[in-house]
Amino acid sequence: MNAVEISQVTKSFGKTIAVDDLSLVVPAGSIYGFIGPNGSGKTTTLRMIMNIFFPDQGRICVLGSENASACQDRVGYLPEERGLYRGMRVGELLRFYGELKRGREVRQEVEWWLERLGAAAYATKKIEELSKGMAQKIQFIATVVFGPELVILDEPFTGLDPVNTDTLRGAILDLKAKGATIILSTHDMNVAETMCDSIFMIFKGRKVLDGTLAAIQDQYASNVIRIRTAGGAATLGELPEARLVRDYGQIQELLVAPGGDPQAILAAVMKRSPVLHFEITKPSLHDIFVRIAGPQAQAEAAQPGARLTAVN
Amino acid sequence: MRKTLLIAKREFLVSVKRKGFIIGLIIAPIFMSGGFIGIALLKNQVDTHDKKVVILDRSGIVADGLLQAARDYNREIFDKATGKKIKPAWVMEKVVPNEKDPNAQRFALSEEIRAGRLHGFLEIGPEMLHPSRDTNASRVAYYAKNSALDEVRRWAGNPLNNLLRKARLNEAGLDESKVKDLFDWRAIDSLGLVTRDVVTGSIQKAEHKSEGEAVGVPIFTLFLTFTIVMMGAIPLLNSVMEEKAQRIAEVMLGSVKPFEFMMGKILGGLGVALVGAGFYVGAAIFALFQLGMAGSIPIELLPWFFAFTILNIIMMGAICAALGSICNDPKDAQSLALPGMLPVLVPMFVLTPILQHPASAFSTWFSLVPFFTPTAMLLRMCTQTGVPAWQPWAGLAGVVVCALACVWLGGRIFRIGILLQGQRPSLAKAIHWALKG
Repeated sequence: MNAVEISQVTKSFGKTIAVDDLSLVVPAGSIYGFIGPNGSGKTTTLRMIMNIFFPDQGRICVLGSENASACQDRVGYLPEERGLYRGMRVGELLRFYGELKRGREVRQEVEWWLERLGAAAYATKKIEELSKGMAQKIQFIATVVFGPELVILDEPFTGLDPVNTDTLRGAILDLKAKGATIILSTHDMNVAETMCDSIFMIFKGRKVLDGTLAAIQDQYASNVIRIRTAGGAATLGELPEARLVRDYGQIQELLVAPGGDPQAILAAVMKRSPVLHFEITKPSLHDIFVRIAGPQAQAEAAQPGARLTAVN
Repeated sequence: MRKTLLIAKREFLVSVKRKGFIIGLIIAPIFMSGGFIGIALLKNQVDTHDKKVVILDRSGIVADGLLQAARDYNREIFDKATGKKIKPAWVMEKVVPNEKDPNAQRFALSEEIRAGRLHGFLEIGPEMLHPSRDTNASRVAYYAKNSALDEVRRWAGNPLNNLLRKARLNEAGLDESKVKDLFDWRAIDSLGLVTRDVVTGSIQKAEHKSEGEAVGVPIFTLFLTFTIVMMGAIPLLNSVMEEKAQRIAEVMLGSVKPFEFMMGKILGGLGVALVGAGFYVGAAIFALFQLGMAGSIPIELLPWFFAFTILNIIMMGAICAALGSICNDPKDAQSLALPGMLPVLVPMFVLTPILQHPASAFSTWFSLVPFFTPTAMLLRMCTQTGVPAWQPWAGLAGVVVCALACVWLGGRIFRIGILLQGQRPSLAKAIHWALKG
C-alpha cells in the first residue's frame, strides 16, 4: 500500500507554475526524502498533500483516500516555518494540538513524548520562555503526539544542536519502526542520505530525481572521477572527455562527458602529470544536487526554450 | 464542528483568562462614561479667585441693580457648614461710558483684561426698557477671554432681566407685590401613554418619563454595543494577523479547514463578547434596581439585544478575521482597523438625529442597513417612541443574511490571505478574492 500517490499534479500561482505535472508514489512505512532548492516547489507539494492547497490539475491520494479532509487527522505536519502560540504553556498547547487531531484527551501521550524528548521539565513553561531548540522539539511533539500514520516533516532539524538532532533522529526512526510513513523535506543532504529509503528531488516545479539513494547514485555513478595528481588542478584543464567540476585542493573531481571513457581520460592525465590516485566513484547526493540545481544548471534552465529533464 | 468548538474554546479561555480582559471589563465603561464621571467628580473644583467686572451702562437703569445683585450673590459664596469660600466673588464696578470714542474705551478695557487686572466688562445699550429695531442700541454685550463659557455672563442674565421687568412694571404703574404671579413659570411634565392592566383590566396611570431615561437607555445601549464589538470582534483582526505572522496558521491548517479555523476564532470572540454583554447588562440591571429605577429597564428588549449582539459579532468577526488574514504586521492591522470598525462607528455619528427623530425616514432606512442594524435598530427601539413591530424583524432578517454573506465571503478571503506572506494588504485584492476565490 502507498501512503501518498500523486498523479500528474500541476499547481500555479498566477503566471508562476509552482509544481508542474508531478507524479510521485510514497510507499507506506518508508522514509521518503524531499529535496530541492529553495522555491523549487517542495513546500507547495507538501501543502497539497496536506490539503492546504488544492492542485489545479491531477490527483492526490493520501492514505488510500482522495478526500484529503477525511484523512487529515491521520497525518502529522511540521511546517518549515514553526508556529506555536507563544502565550500558552507547553503541556496545554500539546494537549490542544493533540485533541484537535485525535478527538479525545491525549494527556498520557503528551507526557510520554515530553519524557521521550527530554522536555518533561518544560511542561508548565510558556512557549515564549523556551529556547529555539526546545521550541523545535515541542513543535515536533505537537506533530506526532496524536499518533499519525503519515508524518510530514519540513526541515525538522533546523536550529537543533547535535545532541538534540540525534534525539529527534531517533524519534523519527522509532515512528518508522512503529509503521508510520515519514516524508522528510530537508536541505541537509547528509540527513537525506543516511535516513531516507527513497529520495525525491524537485527543481523548478518538476521532478528531477526519484528513487533509492543507490539507484540515484547508479544513475550518476559512471561519470565521476576522483583524482590526485602531482601537478594538482592546474594539470586538469581542457581534457578531451572530462571537465573539472570540483577542486578540493589535494583531490579533484572530474565529470566525464556522456560516452566518455575513464581509461582514456586517465591516459590523457598521465601524459601531463604523475597520477597518485584515480577512482571512479559514486557521486554524493550533495554533488548530484549541485549538478542538477547549481548555478550552471540554473543558468542552463534559464536559457530560452530550455527544458528540464524530468523523471517520471 | 468539534474542531471549531475546540478552537473557539481555546480562543475564549485565552482571552478571558488574561488580566487585561478583567481590567478592560471594568475600565471600558469608565472610559466610555469618562466625561460624565469627570464632570461629576470635578464639579467642585472651581476657580475661587474674585472676578472683577466693569459695567458700562448706557441705559442708566441697570448698573446699580446689578451691583446690588452682585453684593447679594457674594454673600452666598461660602460653604454654610465650614465657612470656606467655594465660589468666586463678582467685584462689579460701574464706569462711565466714553461716548466720544467707545472703541478706544473697549480697547483699553480689553488691554486690562489681557494684563490680568480685569476679568471682563459688560456693555449695556441705551434702549433696555423698550428695545427698538436698532439691535446695537438694545444690545447687552459681555467681553471676556472666554466669554461664551464665562460664569459671569450666565449669572448676569437673570438679575439684569429681573431689573428690567421691575422697571417696566413700575413704568406701567403696577404694584409688583400684586402681580407677582405674572411671571410664574409652569413646567410641562413628560408622561408616557396610559395603559390598561392585562390582569385586572383597570386603567393604569401613565409613568413619568425623564430626559435622563429618554436619552440614557439608548446611549447606554449604543456604548454597550460598541464596547461588545470592540471586545469580541475587533481583536480578531490582530489575533489572526499575529497567527499568520507567527506561522501558527499553517500549523493549524494542517489540522483544520480554513473555514473551521476562522469560525472557531469567531465563536471564541462571540463567547468573550457574551461574557462582556452579560456582565454589563447584569451590572446595569442591578444598579437600576438599587437606585429604585427598575421601571426603566427595557426587559422586553433584552432578547433583541442578545440576538443582534450575537449576529453583530459573527458579522463583524468575519470581517475582522478576513482583514486580519491579509495583514502581515501590526502596522497593516492598524491601517485596516478603522475600515473594520466603521459599522459600529457610523451609528455613533448619527446618534443625535436618530434619538431626536427615531421614526424619520432617515432613521428607519439607516437602521435597516444590515451593517448598522444591530446598533441603529436597537437605538431606535430604546427610544420612547419605539418602532413598528415589523421593523426589528425585517432588520434581523437582513442581519442574518448579511452575517452569512460576511462569513462566506470572509472565509474565501481568509483561505487565501492566511497563507500569503509578504504581500501588501489591499482591500481591492480582498474583494477580488471574496468574489472570485
